[in-house]
Order: sequence, then structure tokens, then C-alpha cells
Amino acid sequence: MKAAVHSQAMHFQARAGVQVANKGLQKALEKAKPLFVGKRAKGIAGLAEDGLGFEELRSTCEAIRRRVVDDLDVWLEIFEERARASGAEVLWARDGDEIRRHVIDIARRHGVTKAVKSKSMLSEEARLNEALSAAGIRPVETDLGEYIIQLAGEAPSHIIAPAVHKTIGEVEALFAKEHGRPAGTRTSADIPAMAREARAVLRQHFLSAEMGISGANFLIAESGSAALVTNEGNGRMVTTLPRVHVVITGIEKIVPTLEDFATLMRLLPRSATGQSISNYVSLLTGTRGANETEGPEKTVFILVDNGRAALAGSDFSDMLRCIRCGACMNHCPVYFSLGGHAYGWVYPGPMGSVLTPLYTGIENALDLPHASTGCNQCGSVCPVNIPLPALMHRLREIQDERGLRPRHERFALRAWGWLAARPGLYRLLTRRAARYLRWLADDSGRIRVLGLAPGWSDGRDLPAPPGQTFHELYAARKRA
Amino acid sequence: MRLALYVTCLVDLMRPAIGFASLRLLEEAGCEVVVPPGQTCCGQPAWSAGNRPLARDLAKKAIAELEGYDYVVIPSGSCSDQIRNVYPQLLADDPAWAARAQAVAACSYELSCFLKDVLQAEVVPGEFAGSVTYHDSCKGLRGLGIKAQPRALLGKVRGLMLAEMPDCEECCGFGGAFAVRFGDVSTAIVDRKCEAIAAVGADAVVGGDLGCLLNIEGRLRRRGDNRTQVLHLAEVLAGLAPQ
Repeated sequence: MKAAVHSQAMHFQARAGVQVANKGLQKALEKAKPLFVGKRAKGIAGLAEDGLGFEELRSTCEAIRRRVVDDLDVWLEIFEERARASGAEVLWARDGDEIRRHVIDIARRHGVTKAVKSKSMLSEEARLNEALSAAGIRPVETDLGEYIIQLAGEAPSHIIAPAVHKTIGEVEALFAKEHGRPAGTRTSADIPAMAREARAVLRQHFLSAEMGISGANFLIAESGSAALVTNEGNGRMVTTLPRVHVVITGIEKIVPTLEDFATLMRLLPRSATGQSISNYVSLLTGTRGANETEGPEKTVFILVDNGRAALAGSDFSDMLRCIRCGACMNHCPVYFSLGGHAYGWVYPGPMGSVLTPLYTGIENALDLPHASTGCNQCGSVCPVNIPLPALMHRLREIQDERGLRPRHERFALRAWGWLAARPGLYRLLTRRAARYLRWLADDSGRIRVLGLAPGWSDGRDLPAPPGQTFHELYAARKRA
Repeated sequence: MRLALYVTCLVDLMRPAIGFASLRLLEEAGCEVVVPPGQTCCGQPAWSAGNRPLARDLAKKAIAELEGYDYVVIPSGSCSDQIRNVYPQLLADDPAWAARAQAVAACSYELSCFLKDVLQAEVVPGEFAGSVTYHDSCKGLRGLGIKAQPRALLGKVRGLMLAEMPDCEECCGFGGAFAVRFGDVSTAIVDRKCEAIAAVGADAVVGGDLGCLLNIEGRLRRRGDNRTQVLHLAEVLAGLAPQ
């Protein structure tokens, strides 16, 4: 079964309307936006202290990721061989179904009843928590944001700040209920106390879970390691305390060398949170050695395709460079008007507007490539130079080529194009249109309702034109 | 110097004054200005809708009309981006048109770039008694690197005080068909722009793209701001801004 079945992306327009009207959400987003943008700007400016320039560095990062994407199969083979040599098991998953089967199978073989998880978007792609619960295995999200939305029964609305859409009051209500205490009034000053409260609960889970499930920010081919970039420390617990550690990640996450990883780390945390380095950077290689006292007895990598291999060598191979920093959504005016849930599938913002159609079917996400003003704020901050607006544009073209746009839209465009190719007729009609628009205006020279574009005039008064077109007035001036 | 003024379809229909202001600026700078008579639209709406064949047809039509001039000048960053950046890639695989597209692209300039970078204008005719804040339109800013030029030119307008608003590089939420297709989302975005304009409290907000200006003015008025003028850069520079 394809992930498309679970995608709500076809309802983008309707969901967008609901989110724009959601006051609590708007309040949460309004708070978050300047933080994201300001922190990244500071982080990028800080590169100068190390004698580095953003444009130069991102060209280097782009080149590293291009090298991987161009020969993905080769790097994956090297990774597989080195990871096995270090004692890990490597499994492959074609889609979400196979991810679920692998994880449940491993859990059964090792007598797992509880799995602690640190952030993994692949687990979202596979809807793993549902499948684990159904198989009698309790999944516990341990990233603070993920923990919050698991309590709320929701999906992440941001790839690095999954609960960014929640206000502190909403979180307090969830905690009070789950932790069995009365709810109080909370301000941002209480956040450390609330985090401590969650930590106390989660600590018990870390100690009792038999399995840890994590994602990986990168897979390092030369050492067969998974690299984990986190801030809360839960990632370390998840990957070292339980007997079994399962890493689920996309096949495109490979980087050739540790040196390359270090280079990418110059931009990943800066682009995501503005930090010059995240609180924790872990390199996880193999299993617990004979004379070691820590680490899992069993490590399994599940390397997932789920649509990725098909992008290699296609018009969309640029997208495989993505390192999931979230800068594109953090700088997207559309994302910050809606939050992530409107996008209907795992990845929101510009990244999602490209990935969702590609991974769940172009015909299942028709609005998303159009849900962009074309401002290119995303492309200008991307640390690996992905031309996101151009990719959205290519998806629009494919929709058009396949006749997937609504009939009225195609007709209107064709009629307008036919007219624009005939200057004589075009002049005649624009003269009429100028007069008509003038006539629609009220005394103050504004058009309050525009039947042709109701979506536009719902929120705006169109300043009316003077009634004669430029070309009409210019011709008269020339005659005079 | 003989140049073609590409007025743009939006200016033609919605605000002819911008065309005449551009004409005045160019003629006063000593240019011989021709308005190619067959011009309609650069085809950007077709391009951004994903209709490549139609975008290509309209690109060819515009190229044929704009060839043979020393320069083509366009009072819009968005249409300039289409002609300078999109036409060459749109026609790259068409042997009869690729070179022609590149030639027209290479001599096409957005108005403020032309005045500042090509003509190196030192004086402008305009006067403006008041403060203005400049909105950087996305295609001009990120597609063509227009940032310093309009500000430098505004600095030459007698009486004018430039006051930067917060987040002046943020999108206004217009995006052509986007504003019609997702009207409510667009409104939420332009609300943030309106708040930034209110925060700086200038007498006028000025920009280089009529699409953004109609969007901003439309929302300002609906929100009840009847005071802040919304003006095109050409109108202010030429001294043709209604005051």
C-alpha cells in the first residue's frame, strides 16, 4: 500500500483555510517565526568568525551531496559493507510496509514490549507507531516535541520542531492529564520545569524499554556509522540504553567520509537552529564490543527507498541532496501562515510541496506545487542549494502536461493566451476591461467585490484603474 | 541610444501612470524611447501555471517585438525576471530561438537597474515631501539582485526621506495566481506586510512591481488605512506621484 493512501494533501486548500482561521495556531506561529529566522541569520553571520563565507560553504556542501546522489548505489554498498563489518545488521525497505514488517519482526525476535524513539521522519512516513501499537509493542516518543504530539495524538507539524504549532497552555493541559496532576497557568518561564517533568517520566521508559528506534541525520560510508545531531540528549539514551537499536533512515542520507560530515555540520545546525554546533553530535558505529560496558547488543540499520531511488537521475534529483534542516519552511511565508498540518503528509513547507507529490503521487497532491508565491526565500537559504521553486515549477508543468489541472483553469489560460497573441483584439478587450473595472469602483475609487477573483477581493479593495489603458492614452498622446 | 519600453500588461490595464512616469524618466535622461506597439504580456502567468508551450509562444512573440533595440526597459522586476532569466532557459533547446532569446535577455533591464547601473543617473526629476519605505519585491530582489538601485535613486528625490520597514525583503503574498487561488493564505501574508508598514509609519510605501503594490494597497485599504500612499518607484522618481 502506498503512503498516498494516508496523505491528506489533496485537501490542502480546505485545510489551509481552517488553519488561517485558527487563532491559537496563529499565535504559536507568530512567536516561532522571528526566532527561527533570527537565529539562523545570527548563525550564518557567525561563519565569518571562522573565516568562512555562506555562499562558498554551501557550494562545497552542495558538491558533497551531489557526489553521493550521482553514485548512490556505490556509496550504499560501501556503507553496507562497513556497517556489517562493525557488527551491525543492514536491512533494506522498499516502502513503509516493509519498514513496519522489519521493525515488528526484530521486536518479536528480541522479545520487545516497549520501544523508545528519538526523532525519525521515516517512522512518520511508515506510520510506524500505529503498527507497533497494533502489534502489542508500546512506542514512546522521547524528543520533547514528539512526546507532546504523541500525547495529543497528532503528527509533527515541523520536521525539527514537531510541536511548534502548540501553545504553552495546550502543552500544560496535555501534561496535566498524562502526568495525573491538576493543570496550572504557565508562561515561557515555566518551560524548564515542564521539560524536567517530562524528563522524569521519560527516564523510566529509557530504563525499561528493550528497543530504541532512531533516525540518522547522515550515514557515513567510510566508517559504516550513523550520525545523530540532537539537542535534548534523548537521542543518546535511545541509542545506547536499550538492548536493541534500530536506525531507520532514507537511502539518500549517505555522506562519503567523516571529513564530509564535518563540513556539512558547519551548515546543518546553523541552518536549522542557528547553533554553531548542536548540543549533542553522536557517531554510532556497530554494537557493544566485548570489553565495553555500554551500547546496544544489537544494531540494525533499515535503509529505506520509499520513492527515493526513482528520483535519482530524474528532473528532481536535486531534492535528494536535502539534509532536512528545515530552513526552507522556516523562511516560507506560506508555511508560517498555516503551520505544517495543512500540507497533509509528513513533510511540510517547500520541502513537502516537492516531496509529497513525488513520494505519494503527483495526482494526490495537486495544490502543493502551487502553494508558493514563488518568492524563493526557501531557495536562498537552502544549505545545499536546492532550487525549490524550480522543482515546484517542474511539478506544475507535469500537472499541465498530464491534464491534471481543473478544466476551467486550463480553459481560462488558453483563452487568455490566445488573446495575448493577438494585439489588435487584446487592445480592444483591455480597453473594455479598463472601463468595466472603473465602472465597478465605488466613490473612493475602490473595487470591493471582484467576481472574477473572489478569493482576492474577499480580503482586499482593488484600487480601480483610471478607465483608459496605457496604450490607448499613449496613442492619443502621439496623435496630439 | 534607442530603447524599447516594455510597459507590462498590468501597468497597461491597471495603472497607466507608471508607463508615463517611466517614459518621462527615460526621455529626460536623453533616451529615444519606442513603445513597441504589439506588446501584450510577457507570458509569465502561463509559465508559472506550468503551461510551457503557451509560455514559449508568448516569449517568442515578445522577443520578436523587442529585438533590435539597444536596450529594453521594464518597470517591473517580475516581468524583467521572466525576460532575463526565464526566456533563455525556455527556448534553450530551440535552435531558431535560443540565440535570439539570449540577445534580448542580455539587453533587458528593470527600470531602476537601467537608470542606476546603465545610465548611472545622477539626478531625477521627482520631488516628494515626506517619508517613504521601500518594499523589495521577490523576483527583483532574489532573481535580479535589485536592492541598492531603487534606494540610491530614491535618495536623489528632493524632500524624500527613506525609512526602512522591518522585514522589507519578506514576500507580500501576491505571487500572481497564488493570491487568487489561495486568497485567504495570501491575505494572512500581506497582513504581516501591512503591520510592518504600520510599524515604520511612512507616508508612502514604494515598490517596483505593480502586482505587489495592488496587493499591498488592496489590503491596507480594507484594513482601514486610507493614509499610507502606495506608489510605484517610477511615479516617485518622475515626480508624477499623486500627492
